[in-house]
Amino acid sequence: MTAHAAVPPIIEVDRVSKSFGDFKVLDELSFSVAPAEKLALIGPSGSGKTTILRILMTLESIDSGHIRIEGEELYHMEKGGRLVPADEAHLHRMRAKIGMVFQLFNLFPHMCVLDNVTLAPVLTKGVAKEAAKRRAMELLDMVGLADKAKAMPAQLSGGQKQRVAIARALALEPRIMLFDEVTSALDPELVEEVLAVMHRLARETDMTMLLVTHEMGFAHDFADRVMFFDRGRIVEQGPPSEIFTNPREERTQGFLRKIIAAGHRI
Amino acid sequence: MLWDWSFAISIIPTLWEGVKITILATLLGSVVAAVAGLAIALLRRSTSLLVCKPVAFLAEFFRGTPLLVQLYVLFYVLPDIGITLSPLVAGVIGLGVHYATYTAEVYRAGIDNVARGQWEAAKAVNLTASQTWTRIILPQAVPPMIPALANYFIAMFKETPLLSAITILELMNQARSIANFNYRYIEPMTMVGVFFLVISLISVFGLRWLERRYGRVGS
Repeated sequence: MTAHAAVPPIIEVDRVSKSFGDFKVLDELSFSVAPAEKLALIGPSGSGKTTILRILMTLESIDSGHIRIEGEELYHMEKGGRLVPADEAHLHRMRAKIGMVFQLFNLFPHMCVLDNVTLAPVLTKGVAKEAAKRRAMELLDMVGLADKAKAMPAQLSGGQKQRVAIARALALEPRIMLFDEVTSALDPELVEEVLAVMHRLARETDMTMLLVTHEMGFAHDFADRVMFFDRGRIVEQGPPSEIFTNPREERTQGFLRKIIAAGHRI
Repeated sequence: MLWDWSFAISIIPTLWEGVKITILATLLGSVVAAVAGLAIALLRRSTSLLVCKPVAFLAEFFRGTPLLVQLYVLFYVLPDIGITLSPLVAGVIGLGVHYATYTAEVYRAGIDNVARGQWEAAKAVNLTASQTWTRIILPQAVPPMIPALANYFIAMFKETPLLSAITILELMNQARSIANFNYRYIEPMTMVGVFFLVISLISVFGLRWLERRYGRVGS
């Protein structure tokens, strides 16, 4: 599903710039994402793709530009007819639309798996404990870990941790899910179980998903659209069949050659 | 004979009264140090310079001046400006705030040791700042620092004789008044030392247990 002109985008990134010190990570970046679209961001490290996800999750701020989620400003709010920087209450409300899964899982190590999944729905959405527990068990069942509900995160393998992290993010029922190199920290034999869960999510839900990955084969099968980033700009974008088999830009070709040479399959 | 057993035994009940006050002052002082230390550590992390700078200055000030001077100010100087504290209240505040400046450093290190990803995960699941502190950060930060905190509480315990300077009848003060009254110093002072040693040893034993119990965390 690519962006239709008729459907208003769920995410609009509008001339966003971001620097870390002297290093310009994002340079007047603009793109939009359609509801339910599965978008893969690829590119060399330092190209700014992870920064985009972190900005959407409000883990990093922006220097200039605008981001709109479901038509509503993320980093700005209206006050007396003018756009002013968003306050914490506004960010809190906007964050409820977005979930994120991290490269290093970031499970809460002092809580069992079940509590990891139920904590936020109970605290932030006022879901009753019993209902949150039931929903968490459904989600754990979906990611194949219902039998680990009482386990502590330290007792799980990397792949299991990442599946719990996915369940934790899903429990909040976000409209948008961000996956930041979710298989990069996993042993090769554990990658598949995580990707299988994500495939299932992509098939069975109408969540909008943004994925930063070095798994080109997965990006190919998973995404409706692939964006190739370099130096904070979009070099090229299109359906995966086009980007992976017939890239127009020389930089995209060079990147894909290197990735294949490094042993990643497409 | 230099050591008089019957005299030593006869003063035990009076010394015991002092031991109770010493332990009470240590426990209350520890509570103040634990709570105020956390407050100092949190306020020093404030992004507002109007909050973090004055708190940092006050903490340095309390750590850089002698506890005995602080106790004198609390008990003998504050009444001049209309604040009269009972000896025990002044002593507990003095001990507690002085040691809070040390426990604040323990809290700071413990909080810094919580991985950045935990803050980010808390934000990603949309917890508020206070929920992040109470549910995610402190439950991970506090257990590893319990042995270090307990260490300061034992150090505080051994400084309680300073409270005798502001008329508190803790163990040292009781012993001194017995000694002054009877002109016998060897039994009361020796027994003060023994009392402190016994309680310190018990505390150190407890501390070792805490280290085993909370030494490893996050695994």
